[in-house]
Amino acid sequence: MNVIFTAVFISSMVALLICAPQDFLPALISGGENAVKTAVMLFTVYAVWMGFSKLCERSGLSRGVARALRPAAKKIFKTDNPAATESLAMNISCNLLGLGGAATPYAVKAIGELEKDGNSFAQKLLFVINATSVQILPTTVIALRAGAGSASAADIFLPSLICTAVSTLIAVALFIIGNKIWR
Amino acid sequence: MALIIPVIFVAVFVFAAIKKVNVYQSFTDGIREAFTFTVSLLPCLAAVFMMCQLFEVSHLSDLFTKWLAPVFGALGIPEELTKLVLIKPFSGSGSLAYLTSIIETYGADSYIARCACVCFGSSETVFYISAVYFAGLKVKKLALPIVCILVATFISTVLACLICKIM
Repeated sequence: MNVIFTAVFISSMVALLICAPQDFLPALISGGENAVKTAVMLFTVYAVWMGFSKLCERSGLSRGVARALRPAAKKIFKTDNPAATESLAMNISCNLLGLGGAATPYAVKAIGELEKDGNSFAQKLLFVINATSVQILPTTVIALRAGAGSASAADIFLPSLICTAVSTLIAVALFIIGNKIWR
Repeated sequence: MALIIPVIFVAVFVFAAIKKVNVYQSFTDGIREAFTFTVSLLPCLAAVFMMCQLFEVSHLSDLFTKWLAPVFGALGIPEELTKLVLIKPFSGSGSLAYLTSIIETYGADSYIARCACVCFGSSETVFYISAVYFAGLKVKKLALPIVCILVATFISTVLACLICKIM
């Protein structure tokens, strides 16, 4: 992240310096403004889902889900940490249901738990799975198309499903192979 | 479809109440966690968003678009989608704005718009997610997972353009 950040930042700054130096500071400030807007938006979504997830946790519901998925988690993520497994299980279930907003807090929690075990393989694998978007129902896009007067807004469902499945499978495969080579 | 989430909520709330969990207290506790979590995220978000804004304003993204459009075209990705494919890993709101404009320009049922929708729906804002997930942690060597994700996303984009031609 550091390398990418520095490279993009410096090259953009140099380009701006040459063509439009007066836009430099406004760009940074509006970037910060976007960050705050996004944070507020994120908070509202997280507030709903983390409140909800606390209820699942306290009522023992997520423990039940985790117990069911435990053997799979052990095999795929190579973890035996029950708290991590619980969050992992909830993250994957939310993703599959297309509840992207709900999945993120669980992923962060799981990654924090895995950090305690020093299990960076599982952390990165979870990142790979989430970043290739395993969602089954692309709700945002369907809503957008319906709003723009599409005849059948949901007809991209199947192509999306195929593509997201393919991208996740390829990324996981590449990651596991790459991980074996550079270790 | 709209029923799924409310039904899940009702089920969990009723289940928790039956289990004699303090619903109000638990819900508030969860929101408190959400709050500290969001605040801890803010510095990373600000930095990444500033980077994205600079990238956009400096016209570097346009430059890349111009260079890469022929390459993308050779792989079957329509030229009009080049910018969307490039922006998506960096910015969710930016690419969403761009997707909206594509739908408006070409019509919701056009090949370009459907293609754009599939590409958008089957990829994620990789850099943003990595900032959120690994904020404040000491995990090193994220380059490998990021490269894997970008390669896989690109392959699925090529695939999306193919599939949309048939289906």
